[in-house]
Parts: sequence; C-alpha cells; structure tokens
Amino acid sequence: MIWTITKKEFLLNLMTFKFTVGTILCIVLMSVFMPVLVNDYQMRLQEYNENVTDKQADLQTAKVYMNINMGGRYMVHRPPSILSVFSKGVENQLASSVKIETNTVPGLSARSSEVNPYLSVLPTMDISLIFKIVVSVLALLVACDVISGEREQGTLKLILSGTVARHQVLLGKLLAGQLTLLVPLTISFLVGLSILLFSPMVDLTASDWARISLIYVASVIFVSAIYNIGLFVSTLTKRPAISLIAGLFFWIVFIMVVPNAAVYFASQIAPLELEEKVDSQLELIMQERQAEVKKIREEIPGPGGNEVSNFYDDFQFYVLVCDKEGMEWRRKYHAALSPLYIKYADKLWQIEHLHFKSLLQQKQLTNNFSRISPISMYDYIMSNLADTDTASCQYFIDRAKAHREEVIDYLRLKTDRFSSASYFTQCTEADMVVYQEYLDGKILEDDFQKWKEKKIAQMIPLDLRDFPQFIYQPSVAKSFNRAIPDLALLFFIGVLFFVLSFVTFLKYDVR
Amino acid sequence: MIRHIIRKELLENLLSLRFVLSLLLIICLYATIGFVFVSKYTRQTDDYWKRTNENIAAFSERADQLYKLAFYEQEIWRKPRPLSLCVEGFERYLPNYFNSSLFRTQLPEVRSRSNFLLPNFCDIDWVFIISIPLSFVVLLFTYDSFCGERQAGTLRLILSGAIPRHQVFLGKYFGAAFTLAIPLLMGFLINLIIVISSDIVKLGSGEWLRIIGIALISFLYLSMFLLLGMFVSSRTAHSTNSIIILLLVWVCLVILLPRLGRIVSDMYYKSMSHAEFQKKIVENKDQIFSEMRSGKYGEKAFEFHPDRNHPSVNPPAAVRFWNAFSASVGQVYEQHHNQMLAQAFAGRNFALVSPMVIYQQASEIIAGTGLNRCASLYQQIKRYQEQLKEFIISEDQKDPDSLHILFDFNYAVDSWRAISKNPVDFDTVPKFQERDLSLGQSMKLAIWDIGLLVLFNLVFFAASFVSFLRYDVR
Repeated sequence: MIWTITKKEFLLNLMTFKFTVGTILCIVLMSVFMPVLVNDYQMRLQEYNENVTDKQADLQTAKVYMNINMGGRYMVHRPPSILSVFSKGVENQLASSVKIETNTVPGLSARSSEVNPYLSVLPTMDISLIFKIVVSVLALLVACDVISGEREQGTLKLILSGTVARHQVLLGKLLAGQLTLLVPLTISFLVGLSILLFSPMVDLTASDWARISLIYVASVIFVSAIYNIGLFVSTLTKRPAISLIAGLFFWIVFIMVVPNAAVYFASQIAPLELEEKVDSQLELIMQERQAEVKKIREEIPGPGGNEVSNFYDDFQFYVLVCDKEGMEWRRKYHAALSPLYIKYADKLWQIEHLHFKSLLQQKQLTNNFSRISPISMYDYIMSNLADTDTASCQYFIDRAKAHREEVIDYLRLKTDRFSSASYFTQCTEADMVVYQEYLDGKILEDDFQKWKEKKIAQMIPLDLRDFPQFIYQPSVAKSFNRAIPDLALLFFIGVLFFVLSFVTFLKYDVR
Repeated sequence: MIRHIIRKELLENLLSLRFVLSLLLIICLYATIGFVFVSKYTRQTDDYWKRTNENIAAFSERADQLYKLAFYEQEIWRKPRPLSLCVEGFERYLPNYFNSSLFRTQLPEVRSRSNFLLPNFCDIDWVFIISIPLSFVVLLFTYDSFCGERQAGTLRLILSGAIPRHQVFLGKYFGAAFTLAIPLLMGFLINLIIVISSDIVKLGSGEWLRIIGIALISFLYLSMFLLLGMFVSSRTAHSTNSIIILLLVWVCLVILLPRLGRIVSDMYYKSMSHAEFQKKIVENKDQIFSEMRSGKYGEKAFEFHPDRNHPSVNPPAAVRFWNAFSASVGQVYEQHHNQMLAQAFAGRNFALVSPMVIYQQASEIIAGTGLNRCASLYQQIKRYQEQLKEFIISEDQKDPDSLHILFDFNYAVDSWRAISKNPVDFDTVPKFQERDLSLGQSMKLAIWDIGLLVLFNLVFFAASFVSFLRYDVR
C-alpha cells in the first residue's frame, strides 16, 4: 500500500506546474552559472600556475642563500579548489599566497594588498546557492499541500475512510516527496557535473570524485530535511495557503535572519579586540628585537672592512667582493642576526596567533548559533567538502609553516648556521686578492670596473635541486570528518521533523 | 467606489494570518536593529574618535619642525555615519583606514572589529529588511489579488456590477499599499524612537530629509513588487501557480541576479593579484634604478652624505631620482587601488539588472554610505595631500636657510635642511575633514537609480493594468 501511495503521489507531483517550473529553473540556472563558475576557476588556476612558475623562476635566479630569504622573494601558493564551483566558502576572502622567510611566520590574512576589500559589496555565487534557495523553495512548495491540500480537496478523508493506516499514508507521501525532489536535484547535478567534466583544465582526481559524491549525498539529506519541515507545517494547518505562508516565513528566517543574527550575537558574546591593541603588542616585540639588534651591532661594530655590493630585482643584493675584514664582519654579523630574527618571528607569531584564536572562537560561536538553520548547516557541510572552509585554509597555512621550518633547516645546513660566506657572497680568495690590490691602488678604477662587470656576468645561480619542495595535499578523510557532525545533525533534523509530522498527523482532523 | 474597494481590501488583509506574521516579523526586526545599532554606533564612534585624536596628537607633535609634517604618515579613519541605521552599505567590510603621507597613499585597509573568517553577510538594516523579507511579504499579499478572487467567484460578482475594471485595479493596489504601509511605518517609528531616545545620534534636518528620501525610495521598490504580484496574479487562473511563479521570480531578482555582478567583475575586470602587484612594484623600482645608473637624473643621484655640500653628493640629482622613485611606486599603488575600485563598480553596475541592487545603491547614495562613499573619501584624501603639500611648500618659502626642495628621503631632507626645520603653528596646518555630499548632489548621483525604479513601476503598472483589463473572470 505504501508503494501504491508513493507511486500515485510521485506521478501526480511530476505533472504539477510547480514541479515543471522548479525543475526547468534548476536546470537553466545550473546551465548558466556552471560554465561561468568553471571559467572563473580556470582563470584562478591559470593565475596560480603562472605564480608558481614565476616564483620558481625567481628562485632559480638567486645568487646567494640570503636572496631566498629576502623581501618576499619566495612565496608558496594555494591552488584553487575545483569544487569551489559548488561552494565558494571563504576561499576568495583570504589570501592564497604566503611569503616564506625567516622574519615572519605565515598566517591567515585578508589584507587589502592580497584581497580586494571593495568586492565585499558583491555577494558570491556558487552552485550550492541553487540548491539552498531554489531546491529548498521547491521542497517547501511540494510539501506544503501534501496533507492540508488533500484535506481541503476532501480526498484525505476518502483515503482514510478505507483500511489504509495513517502511518502508511504519511510514509507514502514522504517517499513520494523525496523522490519528486530527487528528480530536479539529480538532473541539475548531472548537468552541472557534465559541464564541469567537459571543461578544459579540469582534471578530477579520485578524491574529487569522493567529495562530489558526498556533496550529492549532503544535498539529498538537506532537501529531505526541508521537505520534512514543510510536511510538518502541512500537518499543523488546515489550508495549504496557510502552510505555504508559514513555511515560507520560516524559510526567510532560516536563510536571512538566522545567519546575520548569529554573527551579531557572537560578536556581542565574544567581541574582538581592536587591531591597534594587537599592533601595539607587536610593536613592543619589535622594539625588543630592535634593542637586541642594536646590541649585536655594538658587539659586532660595522660595516667592517670594505665591500662592493651588487643590487638587482628590488634591493635583492649580494656582496660581489670584499676584503678579509669585510668577510669576517659579515660572517659574524649574519650568524648573530639571522637566528635572532627567527626567534622573534616566533614571538610575533605567538601574538598574532592569540588574536587569530579569538577570531576562530568568534567564528565557532557564530557557526554554533547559526546551526538553528538547516540552511546554514548545509552551507558548512558544502564548504567543508569543497575544501573552501576556514579549516582547509588553515591547513594550507600549517603546511606553509612546516615548509618554512624545512627551508630554515636547509639554509642552516647550507650556510653552516648562516655563518658561511655562501650566505651572502660568491667571492673567492682570488677575488679578495684582486680587490685588495684595487684598494691598495695597484689596479686602476677603469680596470676594476671591467673586472667587476666580468665578475657579475660570471655569477652563477645557486644549485637548488635539493631545495625542499612545498607539498600541499588536502585529505578527503579530514574534510569528511569536519562535515560529519553537521551532516548527522541535518539528518537528525529531518528525522525529527518527520517524527513530529507523524505524531501530529495521527491526531489530524481530516474532516 | 475606489475608496470602498480600498477599505474592503485593507480590512481583509488586516484580519489575515499573513498580515499578523508580517507585522510581528517587521516589528521584531526593526526593534532589534534599533538596539543593535545603538550599541554598535556607540562603539564605532568611540573607536573612531580615539583613533582620530591619537592621529591628530601625533601629527601635532611634529609641528615643532616643518619638514616632519611632510613625512608623517597620517592615519585617517572613516567616520561612522548616523544614517548607517538606514543603510549600512557593507561598511563593516569596506576599508575604513587610510595611511597617507605626502608622497604616497597606501592601499586602504579594513581595520575594525570585524572577523575576516566569517562570510560577508550584510548587516540587518532598513534596506535589508525592505529589500529581502518585506519584498517577499509584498508578494504574499498580492499573489492572489485577482486569481484568488476569481477562484472564490467573487471577482465576477464585483465586475458584473457597474464597477469599471480600472477602479477595481486601483482599489486593490492602494489597499495592498496601505496594508503594507502600516507595519512598515510602525517599524520605522519604533526604530527611530529607540535610536533617538538613546541620545547617541543627533539627527539634523539634513538627516531627516535623507531618511524621508530613503523611505520614498523604499516605497518605490515595494510598489514595484506589489505591481509584479498583481501582474502575475492577472496572468494566472490559480493562486497556487501565481505564488510559485512569483516565488521563483523573487528568488531570481533578489538572490540570484545580484550575484551576477561578482561573476562578471571577477571574469572581466579582475584587478592585479598580490603577486602581480609585488612584481609591478619591483619592475618599476628596477626601471628607476637602471635609469639612475644610466645617468638620467644626473650624476651621484643615489649617493648620500650628511653634508649637502660634500663633493660626493648632488642634491638636485637626488631630488629628481627620489621624486621619480616615489612617483613610480605611488603610481603602482594608485593603479592597483583604482583597479580594485573599478572591479567593484563594474560588478555593481552589472548587478543593476536586479531591482534590489538598484534600491541598495540609491539608498547608499542618499545615506552617504557604501562603495561610493569609500571612493569619494579616497579622492578627498588625495586632494588633502596636495593641499598639505602646498601648505608646507609655502611655509618653507619663509625660511631663507632651507634648500626649498621636497623629496621622499627623510634622512636627507633632515640632514640637508632641504625643507625648513622651523616650528609651525599647528592651528594653521590643514587637517583632513571628510566632506559629505549635499542632499542635492546625492539626489543627482542617485537620479538614474531612482529613475530605474520609477521605470520598473511604470512598466509593471502598465503590464498588470493591461493584463487585468483582458483578464477572464469566469
């Protein structure tokens, strides 16, 4: 009997105007937006590839090890997530590249030089919006007159006057509604997936396929939860118009009011400090660092001796040649200074990390408040699975930090803890002899200039074949672990509202 | 007869569940945002004055020597606006901090208590309530204006009398409009009472006129949806079909279409990435350095000695070099900033296909918040830089010991006395003051948006009227 009711309801739903319009709209929106989103992804991917290639090329021109460490020469980049077409998350809000240098520890940021702040007036678009908005409205439209509509038409009392049990009727309607909604969801999903697959530069790996499957499952659970909410509202009212209005009011509250209110409440309960307070703490640390730098300069007064530097590429420089005294001074100076900067980079990071923890705490609070809304929960699940949530950005930063440690260890090894001449020069003993002769006046200025130019032309870049490689491989299992609680909660909400519908329907007056 | 129809529609609506729910929703929202605004505005104003006073204090400390004023990097903060009550304009996420010196304005930054880890939601303000939930509520009142009465059989009864169709149409329009005006005006009043009684916001006549302007634009926006509802209702025979179509149209107009702007701006107007920005700065600096080495600025342009008469230095060449260097780097910053702004404006302009964005933009212009304000503020800061520079140059002329040359190398300007080191009266030093657009100027800027809203109203009015004239009431 349940199957008969399901079949009847399903076929009836398929022939309704709302189903036709809703399905067509989903397909049209998917067909319009997916190519645009894929194109946007391709552009970001291209930019990422260019950045990586440029930085690799830049790194290959380093003449001395100090150049790797200076002025943001070496950066690592986070590749755009292909599944950001499904959910943009916070990917566009945060910087996607970080500097690797001894002076700073990488951290999440959204500075104006890295992210365009003016774009915050423009809301972002992704595929989850189509499911969140259009399919959820369709779910409410399908569910709102399931019980109250049949009551109004008079057919519900006819069905129940027979030997059909109420639970059979409700289960049949539940299954039919779910199946009805699966049709536009699946068709639009398949349309979007085909567009994605046939796009150039898109190469889906096994983990991407796993994520896409989970995204589909999450969307099904979400739509089912919304349907069950609509079903529950339908069992509370006697007219479909009233259940539709009530359902849509809740929908507006879930989609618009709850997320914004959650941000407000979280900011009241866990307010953030002014950035100036953090800046002043950082300033204190930097003053402390400056004081220690001054001490080092007093202990190792200089610049010692004589040297000739060569500048290139925005104050990248190396010492072309120096005398013995200059060499000794530089070796001691860098051996003392570089570890100091590394030590203070960690101290600065501690302060920034504390501030970052307060941001995370506020975010966590916001997420918890907004979990009142199934639509917010669905959002979190989608961004977790698409790898565009804060946790995945944080993972990138953690990898960048680990890579920085590897680079520092590499530099320590290659330059004997920054005390080796190779840290700042390629000058040889023979070069030092020539320079000393120049200083003693035994070589003329013009000849020395020619020798200098020849020396610059002969400079060879460092052999960096053993330079540590940056590895960034997000894990599907970790994304899924993050998404599981919200997925379970969403499923539970669906079940809860179905149980409530069941209880209410048992007492429903069908006359 | 129109009055009777209006009265009938009004009474019918007032007794309906949808009106009760709408009233509750709107009053709760407006009351909540009133209290939220009071606490938020207090905090924002305190933060603003603390920071601005610190900046002025630090600036005044440098008045003991004129040249120091030239090198002070002022921290200019965006002042909170009382009319952010009506339309906040995403100001929480827009840059509010500008670091500016005579030689360069850094890229503006967002320095507030906002959390960049959170998705960018818009604040709940008047415009948000009206553009999203209230426009939705309007459709719920009008989706069954004609088809509902047709299904009930009452429409043919009304029209079988001597009542012309246009009277029925106008009666229904004004009936729905007055119904919606009740909760809307109550919401406005409650909100304004909460804000004014808190005594933290002083609303002058200018602000009141702007509030009235925003209220009128809000009415135009809601009227558009009202007429849209009536149009769809007059095209369908069943109210179910009408609400379905209207819902999906609403979703497209209010939620989906505004997002097109971001997509278009990312695809066609993308500003420099961070890596490109850094690279451009490096390239420009390299260019200047190689020009320096080739002797373009003169000999010894990069050399420095504390004694300006030392043979190793050439102050005029140094001035040329450092001014070129500073201009070149400043140009990259300005170009990047202008590209970022252009990208946002392009996206916003494209999103004007959505009436919601038109309404948002018009309200922001009238209230003096949002993107236009940020753009205007940046231009004002640039003009202020010029003004300060002229002041310093004219004050410097009074010192016969000065070289009267200003360039971006602090230590050299100090050692060489390139600019006067005499003290200056801080009261005469120009200070930055943001100038608001007058109401007339704001209206002029918003005229296209208001015109579009009027046009939408006229189009939907004509469409729904013509459609109803031909509506089969049987």
